[in-house]
This record gives sequence, C-alpha cells and structure tokens, in this order.
Amino acid sequence: MASIVDFFNALSQTYMQRALITSVVIGIIGGVIGVFVLLRGMVFLGEAIAHSAFAGAALGLLLGINPLITIILFGIFAAVGVGYVNEKKVMKDEVAIGIVFTFFMALAILFIGLMKEYSTDVTSILFGDIMTVSEENFFILIFLAGAIMIFIYMLKKELYMMTFNAEMAEIAGIPVRLLNYLFLVVVALTIDISLKAIGAILVFAMIVTPAAAAYQWTFRINKMIFLSALFGTLSAIFGLFFSFILDLPSGSTIVTIATIVFVISFVLSPKRRKAAPVPLECAYCSKTIAGEEYCLDEACLIHNVPHIHGEKGVIIYAKDVSSKNHTKKKERKHSHKVR
Amino acid sequence: MDSTLKIDTIEKTSLTEEREPVIGLRNVTVVYGRYVALYDITLDVYEGEIIGICGPNGSGKTTLFKTIVGLLKPITGDLHLFGEKIVNNIPKEIKYKIGYVPQFQPFDRNFPALVKDVVEMGRYGKAGIGKALTKKDKEIVNKALKMVGIEKLSERPIGHLSGGQQQKVLIAQALATEAEILLLDEPTSALDFKMTEELMELLDYLNRRYNLTILTINHNMELLQKFSHRIICLNKAIAYDGPPKTKELDEAIRKIFFS
Repeated sequence: MASIVDFFNALSQTYMQRALITSVVIGIIGGVIGVFVLLRGMVFLGEAIAHSAFAGAALGLLLGINPLITIILFGIFAAVGVGYVNEKKVMKDEVAIGIVFTFFMALAILFIGLMKEYSTDVTSILFGDIMTVSEENFFILIFLAGAIMIFIYMLKKELYMMTFNAEMAEIAGIPVRLLNYLFLVVVALTIDISLKAIGAILVFAMIVTPAAAAYQWTFRINKMIFLSALFGTLSAIFGLFFSFILDLPSGSTIVTIATIVFVISFVLSPKRRKAAPVPLECAYCSKTIAGEEYCLDEACLIHNVPHIHGEKGVIIYAKDVSSKNHTKKKERKHSHKVR
Repeated sequence: MDSTLKIDTIEKTSLTEEREPVIGLRNVTVVYGRYVALYDITLDVYEGEIIGICGPNGSGKTTLFKTIVGLLKPITGDLHLFGEKIVNNIPKEIKYKIGYVPQFQPFDRNFPALVKDVVEMGRYGKAGIGKALTKKDKEIVNKALKMVGIEKLSERPIGHLSGGQQQKVLIAQALATEAEILLLDEPTSALDFKMTEELMELLDYLNRRYNLTILTINHNMELLQKFSHRIICLNKAIAYDGPPKTKELDEAIRKIFFS
C-alpha cells in the first residue's frame, strides 16, 4: 500500500499526470453527455453501445491493430443501428437492446477465443487501467473530448428541447432525426475514449451515475450539467487517488466513488424532501395555503383537520389525522406564503 | 363523395364576405404506407375563427394537424398557408406563425425545467442552432406567460404543476413563437370538467383579445358547440363542415359515430 506522499510524488511523473488529466476529462464529458442520456431515457441504448465497444476492443487486439480504431468503428456502428431501431420503432427498444447487447458480448468472447495466446490487454480492456494510457491514445482522447464539448455547447438548447418533447422540437424546425443520430454517435465516442481507463464492463457508469446524482439536486438544466460534470470529475480524481494508494483497479474504484456520490445525493435530495404535494389554490380564500395550515371556512367538511385543497380534491396528511391536539389548531390564522 | 360536394355549397353560402383563408387545403390525401389517413380534404380556415374538430379515433384528426404543420406530406392536393402555396418545406416566416400543442403526455415529476424554461423552448427554433436567446426573446416569453395568465408560476418546476396548468404552459410555449394560429390536439383529454371549461374559456379569451385563429380537437361535443364558431367532423373525409348548431351536424355525428 502506497502512502499519500507517494501519490503526490508520483504526480511529477508523466504517466501519472496523463492519468490525472484522463480521469478529469472522462469525468467531465461523461457527466455532460450523461445528463442528456438520462433525460432522454436512453440509458439502455447507451449500455448496448458500451458492449459493442468491448467487442471492438477484442477485435482490435486479435488483428493486432490499435484497438481504439476498431472500438470507435464498432461504437458508431452500434449507435447508428440502435438509433435506427429506436426511430423506426421496428420493435421494442428493450428487445433490440437485449439482442444487440448479448450479440456483442458473444462477438467479444469469440474474438478473445480466437486469439492464439491470452493477452493481458484483454483484462485491461475489461476492467480498465488508467495508468497505462498510451501517449497516442491520450492525444486522441483530448482531441475527441474537445470535439464532444463543442458539439454539446453548440447544440445544448436543441438537445434540451428534444429531451422535453421531440415532436414539438421537430415542429420548431430542429432537425430531430439528424441530431438523434449525431447524439448517439457522440455517446459512442464518449464511451469509446473512456473505455481504456474505466473498462468495458463499467464504462457506462461514468455516464449514468454522475448525471443521476446531479438530477437529485436541481430543476435547472445548466446547474444539472455543471453538477454532473463536477461529480464525474470528483469521482475520477478520488478514484484515481484511492486506486493508487490502495493498489486497486482504477475503473472499479472510480465507479464505486461515483455510486457513493449518487447514494448521498439520493438520500439528501431536496426533491425527495419536497415529495409532499405542492399546495395549490384554496377553493375558499383563493390564496395559496402553506402545507401545514388549513381552511377555516364553515362550508368545508373537514375544517378541523389540517388540509389543503388541491386540484385532485382535499389533501389530508396522515400525521395530521393521527395528532391528538389537532382541534386546538382550529383558530390558527392562514398564512399565505408567496412562492 | 356526395357528402363533400354538399359541404362545399354549405360553406360558400355561409361566407358572405370575401377573405383570404389563412389555411387552405385543396383535395389533400395523406397516407401511411398503404393505409389512407385523410381522403380528399378541402378546407379553408379564416383569420380569427375558432374551429372545433371532432371525429372517432383514427379518423385523421391528428393527421390533419400534422399535415398543416408540415410533419406529414400529402400525396395529392395542395396546402396553402397565409395565401402561399407550400411546395416542399414550409418557409420559416410562415412556420412560426403556426403554434402546435400535441396531445398531452404527463412529465416526469422531477424533470429539470422551470415553467419559463419550457416556454423559452418556443423560441429555440427561431433563435437558430448554436445561438443563445436574446433579451427580446425573453420579453416575448414573458408576454406569452402573461397571455395565458401563468406569469406567477414561471419559477416553478414544470412537473409540480397540475394537469391544467401544464397544458397552459404548453399553450404559452406555442404562443412564444408569436403564433397567429394555434392547433391544439385534445387539450382537455387529461383534465376534469372544471379545468376543461377554464381552458376553453382561455382559448375563447385568446381568440377575442389577440384575434388568434384556433383549431382544437375535442371529444366533448357540448363544449365544442359552446365555444366554436365552426365545427368540422372528420371520418377520413370531411363529414361535416359548418356552424356549430345545425341538424346536419347531428345527422353527421349520428352517421360517423353510430353506423
């Protein structure tokens, strides 16, 4: 087990600097892309693409060429194929994904089986090894990440509208079909360049988990993108740190930390705390009544129990019914909170 | 074929003044593969009208709307919008004069969008790809929020509103394109009778105050008859097109729904 000092000493080495930059870049692009994947409900489409990348990697190793080339080819092929099924509604998404998903896994295992000798690269692709990113791959990663960020920056509002309502986006003159395919290709690229660092099995977590954590915190898209990128980056940096000092596989450490961030976000989520129905107009005084208070109107049939008049009728909270002294509250005044 | 001929004569006699229609369809037929969705539709819509559209499920009501906004291309016939014949794509300046509110789909409760974000989406197409909204866009968004009377809700998350309020947000989004025509596909399908009445009154107000042309699909005949200036009954072809309270309408409804 290495100490913290060792970690900072190692940072002066090129391979470590590269690993750190790689993890930050993967954290940011995974987080940003993830927001749109999550909001569009494409989580499993992405999963299928992730597994195609594994098959691509295995083929690259079998043929003895740079796996990144075959990974990207397979990724784009899977993205377009999955996008086509999704668009034409040839069959249910889940059926298509189930077939594609297992087929790519089978291909990957087939390619590995065809190899004359067992290569350690296979393990590194399956489980990821952020410390061994080659210089060539590192520059490809930086270049593609830059391109992906520019793509998202330019098309953010169009993608946002498509996640909200694709039909309305199309009427508004947004080229929905084209953007759909482009977006899937970008998802594929994001997965492909993260593959080496995180590993084929876990790579998709870098897209889903930070975005799902960010989703718990906000109702604004910009804030969600920022938080998602932040969570992704933090997970990647801390994952790298712990994998170094505890000598653990980098991918699984990063994903574990991302999952912890998600669990904390989920538990502390203000959205969950606000799960009570939002008070609506009171039928009697036509002003908003805060959750705890209630109506004094004689005509109201349940006026001695705190309640609110919602769109779907009268809302009474279970805790108010069970409280014994609720009748004493009768004389309390309304307070009309402005939201 | 007989029925369509009859309708032409009704329509011509009911229109005394000569006006240019804002929407004009001439013998439009739309197909999905080998399945005919709309057959030989000839229809004029004039500025400032409220038109109620009724018809059984699968009678081509939504297809008619999609044809008008350019999502579907007719295989025969012509579409005219604001006096201009549409050949391929609808020109931009005409496209944004038509606001379309699709059939209501409930949102995820925690979808990260405030009401004003959703209404701002109405400006996205006009702003163009890669460009941010300007101050003027935001002013128009505020105006649209005020037009439907939801400016107080603008900072609320969209998923936290009631069905009726959400529907108003979508109408505001359509109005944010500075639309002169509103197409509403079953705006009241998810609402109770009180909200339904309120929404129809809102449409009536928008029509009177801003002279909007409104086409709305609805299954509630009573409501359509109360608020529309004209009713169109569809059953692939036009079964009735005329004033809201006539014997012919009752006859047409009896024919298409109960035969």
